[in-house]
Amino acid sequence: MHVGQVISGIGHAGLIGWVLFGGTFQAEPLPFEVTEVSVISTDAFNALLAPGPAPATEVALPAVPDVPQVDPAPVETPVPDDAVVTEAPVPAPAPEVETVPEAPPAPPEPEIADTAPEQPQPQEQAVLVPEVAPRPIPRPSERIAPEAVAPPEPEVVPGEVEQEAVTADEGADTPAEEQEATAPEEAATEIVTEAEEPSGGPTESLRPPSRRPSPPVQTAEPAAPATPTPAPVPDTASDVEDALRAALEGGGAAEVPQGPPLSAGEKDALRVAVSNCWNVGSLSSEALQTTVVVAVDMTQDAKPITASIRMLSSSGGSAAAANQAFEAARRAIIRCTRDGYGLPVEKYGQWKEIEMTFNPERMRIK
Amino acid sequence: MMVRVLCLLMALIIPAATLAQDGPLRIEITEGVIEPLPVAIPDLVAETPGSAEMGAQLARVIAADLTGTGLFRELPGNAFISQVTDFAAPVQYADWKAINAQALVTGAVNVQGNQITVKFRLYDVFSGTELGEGLQFAGTTDGWRRIAHKVADVVYSRITGEGGYFDSRVVFVSETGPKDNRRKRLAVMDYDGANVQYLTGSEAIVLAPRFSANGDRVLYTSYETGFPKIYVLDVGSVQRRVLESQQGTMSFAPRFAPNGRTVVYSLSQGANTDIYAMDIATGAARRLTSAPSIETAPSFSPDGAQIVFESDRSGSQQLYVMPAEGGEARRISFGEGRYGTPVWSPRGDLIAFTKQSKGRFHIGVMRTDGSEERLLTASFLDEGPTWSPNGRVIMFARETQGAAGRSTLYSVDITGRNLRPVRTPDGGSDPSWGPLQR
Repeated sequence: MHVGQVISGIGHAGLIGWVLFGGTFQAEPLPFEVTEVSVISTDAFNALLAPGPAPATEVALPAVPDVPQVDPAPVETPVPDDAVVTEAPVPAPAPEVETVPEAPPAPPEPEIADTAPEQPQPQEQAVLVPEVAPRPIPRPSERIAPEAVAPPEPEVVPGEVEQEAVTADEGADTPAEEQEATAPEEAATEIVTEAEEPSGGPTESLRPPSRRPSPPVQTAEPAAPATPTPAPVPDTASDVEDALRAALEGGGAAEVPQGPPLSAGEKDALRVAVSNCWNVGSLSSEALQTTVVVAVDMTQDAKPITASIRMLSSSGGSAAAANQAFEAARRAIIRCTRDGYGLPVEKYGQWKEIEMTFNPERMRIK
Repeated sequence: MMVRVLCLLMALIIPAATLAQDGPLRIEITEGVIEPLPVAIPDLVAETPGSAEMGAQLARVIAADLTGTGLFRELPGNAFISQVTDFAAPVQYADWKAINAQALVTGAVNVQGNQITVKFRLYDVFSGTELGEGLQFAGTTDGWRRIAHKVADVVYSRITGEGGYFDSRVVFVSETGPKDNRRKRLAVMDYDGANVQYLTGSEAIVLAPRFSANGDRVLYTSYETGFPKIYVLDVGSVQRRVLESQQGTMSFAPRFAPNGRTVVYSLSQGANTDIYAMDIATGAARRLTSAPSIETAPSFSPDGAQIVFESDRSGSQQLYVMPAEGGEARRISFGEGRYGTPVWSPRGDLIAFTKQSKGRFHIGVMRTDGSEERLLTASFLDEGPTWSPNGRVIMFARETQGAAGRSTLYSVDITGRNLRPVRTPDGGSDPSWGPLQR
């Protein structure tokens, strides 16, 4: 017990001595700045605070920088509401240059040296790029499609697929076939009203020429059948082709390659191709409530046989609405098939007949 | 060994049999595009020597009607491969397909003296078929624009499945002069701003003209006695008469019932304004609302069973629906801001209104129960919506800011697309769209 106290005492004494004389906690004196001050009297202080006498000569303000010229592109410039009723182009009033605020009186020169301490240069730090892109602002567009498409270059021809222009190079060993640059039409994914996009308002409204008031017009006679005219001859060349194809294909039914079922990707490609041509913009509200099932026979080069397109069933609307919906569906099937739907020929047996259900539920006016 | 081979064969055959497709390939299309339908409208073929110019004018009006809806895009004439020189000649579908025309309108015009006959056909180019049968209209040459509108109505109707609205008229308040000295008078015009005719002089302030359901009469409010009074004007004869009301009261905001025999209006007595209904023939009036607040701007549902109106009974201006005979009203607007000038759609499915919110005015639509509110426009001052006969388009007045501000008529599709000014010779406000003409 006694021995333990002795050991403890010696240990503590050693520790205290090491702390005091070992120099471990010695540090350089903290840097501090010394500034000279001068003591002034109350009168002198009041004199400093009192507003100084007016300067004998006006101080010239720094010249107002020129107003930067703004690119007058109408797309970018929001149009004020009153622009739409301007009768004639009126030159826009010159923008008022904001008045430059008067510079505050220069503070009296302090007697105290006011030198800011040097700041350490900040080290460059890596900044994380936000992973989520800002939400794109919907653009008003004439075309509403499932996927937004940026406006193509002005000289580019609208087309179903994007392709670059190719010009014949006379010096080339294998001259490439010339082709025009094409790009999909500009499209937005949703309808944007003026209330949602105020800057999208109309830009001009020209005054119409005044018309002389005329007396009420006579009511047109009730509709009468047109003068007898021969029924318009259908596109015979196309029909003959279709019939020939159908006949040839019918004869060789046994040789139709069956192949495995279409993959999900192949079905999706077909679905997207038809979707891109299914224009429901001109359909009535009732037709937009109507789902139609349309059957179509296909040729081996993946083109629809026009004469075979038929409505199998409809639901949700009247017969007239179903007919409107069917016509829009038929146009969709025919329009986007100039080069065929690109279906695998080795699986022809799988897509020789196609039943397409056109369901406009997601395209209704919301 | 044999067993293994059999197992292998079974393993290959069974999945193939399982995957084999039963019947035709089936796919579902749920997404499409909304874009103007390309249409070709060549000049109408002249059947008489002096008809060529008329044929061109008719084609321009038909094209303007269709493209003005925003649902159609006219293909320029210089892109045509085929030229239509004979109305009876077969259509070269391949030529029209090549320029991506989806619809083709061909026609012929025959002018003899002051009589004009117009016939036309509509084709679905990609299907290679005619849509409907050919039609012909006959009239006098000074009514050629109406004939063009009628052709456009049929084309529109056959392609969209909805009724047309081109052969219709709009009554409105024509405005001239600066804001502090504005002169107003009633005028009627074609839906596109053409053929403006004035129905009153500009001696007194006139407000809120409203067409009857069949377009033969117009109700409006005039201050010519110093107090607002309601007048009924016969559009054909331009004769008018006042709807008598009690001395010391002010009556305004009239609107016809669909039956044309009853008028609903606001009557202000003292500090209170309520809605009344009056039988036009007998002059008998009955009170439909009885509240200490301001009730005004009544509008009938197309079946005449209900009335939508605005009221500030809740402390702010909101929309309410009540039975046509009066009774308990149901509030239908609950959004931010103030709602006013409700108008029931001719289809009966929507109510258009003016909304003031956050310092801006909007034209909007909502379901008749107040759901699915959608704002279509936004500006310094938009007000006074009125429906096209087919319930697809709304016309309204937009006033611009400042002392030189001017009021102009605009139209917008109920989707909020295709906002465009209606070109009138002078300023215009308070439009009321009439029915299709017979």
